[in-house]
Amino acid sequence: MSEISTRRVRQPYDARARNPIPSVWFIVLGFLLAGLIGLGAFFFPLLQSSTTPVVTSGGGIINPITVTGPTEPFTVLLLGSDDDSKFVQDHYNTQSMILVRIDPTSKSVTMLSIPRDLWVEMPGGGMGKISTASHDGGVEAAVAVVERDFHVHVDDYVWIGLEGLVKLVDAMGGVDLTVTNPVLDDFYPADVNTKTPYSYYRVALMPGAVHLDGVHALQYVRSRHGDLRGDFARSERQQELLLAMKDEASRLNVTSLPDLAAALNGEVKTSMSLERVRQIYSVLDQYNGSKIKRVVLVPPYTSEGWADGQSVVFPDWNAILPVVRQTFP
Amino acid sequence: MMRAFVYAAVVAAMVAFGFGVYHAAAVLKTTHREVIRPTAQSGPSLAGTVYVAQDGALYRLEGGRFTQITDNAGWTEPAVSPDGTQLAAVRRIGNYSDVYLLSTQGRVIKQLTHHSARQAEYNHWSFFPRFSADGTKVFYSYDAKDPGSYEVDLAIFSLDINTGVAVQWTEPNPYTGGDVDPIPMKDGRLLYTKYSIDEKSQVHSQLWLQAGPGTEGVALTQPEDNCASPALAPDGSTVAMICRRDQLQSADVVTETFAGDVTLSAPVVLASGRLAAAPAFAPDGHTVVFLAPVEPGGAFQLWSVPVTTTASGAAAKALTSSVGLDATSAPAWAR
Repeated sequence: MSEISTRRVRQPYDARARNPIPSVWFIVLGFLLAGLIGLGAFFFPLLQSSTTPVVTSGGGIINPITVTGPTEPFTVLLLGSDDDSKFVQDHYNTQSMILVRIDPTSKSVTMLSIPRDLWVEMPGGGMGKISTASHDGGVEAAVAVVERDFHVHVDDYVWIGLEGLVKLVDAMGGVDLTVTNPVLDDFYPADVNTKTPYSYYRVALMPGAVHLDGVHALQYVRSRHGDLRGDFARSERQQELLLAMKDEASRLNVTSLPDLAAALNGEVKTSMSLERVRQIYSVLDQYNGSKIKRVVLVPPYTSEGWADGQSVVFPDWNAILPVVRQTFP
Repeated sequence: MMRAFVYAAVVAAMVAFGFGVYHAAAVLKTTHREVIRPTAQSGPSLAGTVYVAQDGALYRLEGGRFTQITDNAGWTEPAVSPDGTQLAAVRRIGNYSDVYLLSTQGRVIKQLTHHSARQAEYNHWSFFPRFSADGTKVFYSYDAKDPGSYEVDLAIFSLDINTGVAVQWTEPNPYTGGDVDPIPMKDGRLLYTKYSIDEKSQVHSQLWLQAGPGTEGVALTQPEDNCASPALAPDGSTVAMICRRDQLQSADVVTETFAGDVTLSAPVVLASGRLAAAPAFAPDGHTVVFLAPVEPGGAFQLWSVPVTTTASGAAAKALTSSVGLDATSAPAWAR
């Protein structure tokens, strides 16, 4: 009896021992887990960037399959700063300010460049160049001044530094664009990846169609000394680079995002959630040609002059605001 | 024992699967077209010899084969002498660039300009060298500037190869970038691209024609057409150019013929819808080669298109697929 009983207890164990193949569940779950770990490892840079403090909101990996484009118009303020070693960290001026309105219904984009020397009331009182609003108040102060003076609501902002732009363009594999006229500058600041940030070098970008890497793209949008239009020329070139980057980005697929995230880790600040980034990204190729409107506030919208011992740009709000109301309704 | 072995094999397969998923995701990444040296691919079999530049080196395309003729040392913008025995090319290093005379094998014969200086703003640029019709002079763009000033505009000079005497031909519009793409004509006149900025801050490029050094030039194209990069047919009757009009990510390859001394007419769009650059005529004048990416965002390839007199001409054809040619360096095509 006891012998029979012993056999009954051991039977299942013996059966498994005789059958060396693991259970179906073990195999399915194991492969599933291994696949997820593989995907997780690949997309880890995205996760990392979304949890990096400089990305101020959003985060998390989103389902790459179910991304749908934005449905409501929204406005983003793009900001660019010289953030080299000449400056105190997080106390940067915004050398470039571009308001961008994206309207998913009409598939239209409007870009309005704000002159960096625009003479406006500062958040802390007194008058100053709009580019300096962020110096003490951070990006939020720059956003607040733009909202107040241009009578627009800014839904999100994106800030990028010098190296960030270089890395972003390089991560895209460079950009193709048309250099509209020779860009020549004998005093271009040699302040990226250097121990002598106050030195300078010569820039010469020849006209015509070109393929630019990150360093040359930065030269293109930053150089201003050799152009009659000074900062206005630079604003136009910044918009041209944005369009070229839009075209280039529309060729990227979701699996390229980790590379971009890794390249930009710590180089970009934005209030946008990753989901919104992905929404915009998913419809980039739908915004083209005549549906892209470019505005640069050249005279008569502005006039150059002197104030407080500085060369500044005076706004003519009576001329500017109707344009803003029309293009950023 | 057998069971342990099977489990180990299954777990190993799972780990391999995980790695596979990781690498599959990496493979699915957008592949930026890999740029290869021209010598790594066979080229088209074109009549004659074509010189191009990539990544600081000059290449010769002959009999369907690319040959690298200089080191990767800042070389660009080759031009062929009228008798086909010499090249003029630019060597760009840091803050300056100089024009050199080279053999068709890439050996330096003579340095024609000397523009290096210790202090950055005392350096000079020279770009776009072209031989005069008799081969005794080289025309080029040069920044004749006042060191210390922010104004750096290119003007077109001619330089006597034997005496080294340089003569300024054009007066650039200030702070526009200046005058580029000199094309000396057989009758001694100069065809080139001039840049201007209008009262609305819009940049324009136009083809200009000038009879002699310092003489008043005449515009051959309209400001709104934004035409540039002229190339002259061997018989001097037709000009190929790039006209971008109001486009930024695309430009047309256009030909126009001289109707009288200072007028171009009968424009024909040979290629459009691409970011085209730097056209050049075949020695027989029947074909134009130019540079453009095969797909948006790609590197610049060599293209050809037959020259026709009507807009319904044959389609342009990409002659290379994976190189990354210097798009500001027009191909130089010799017999």
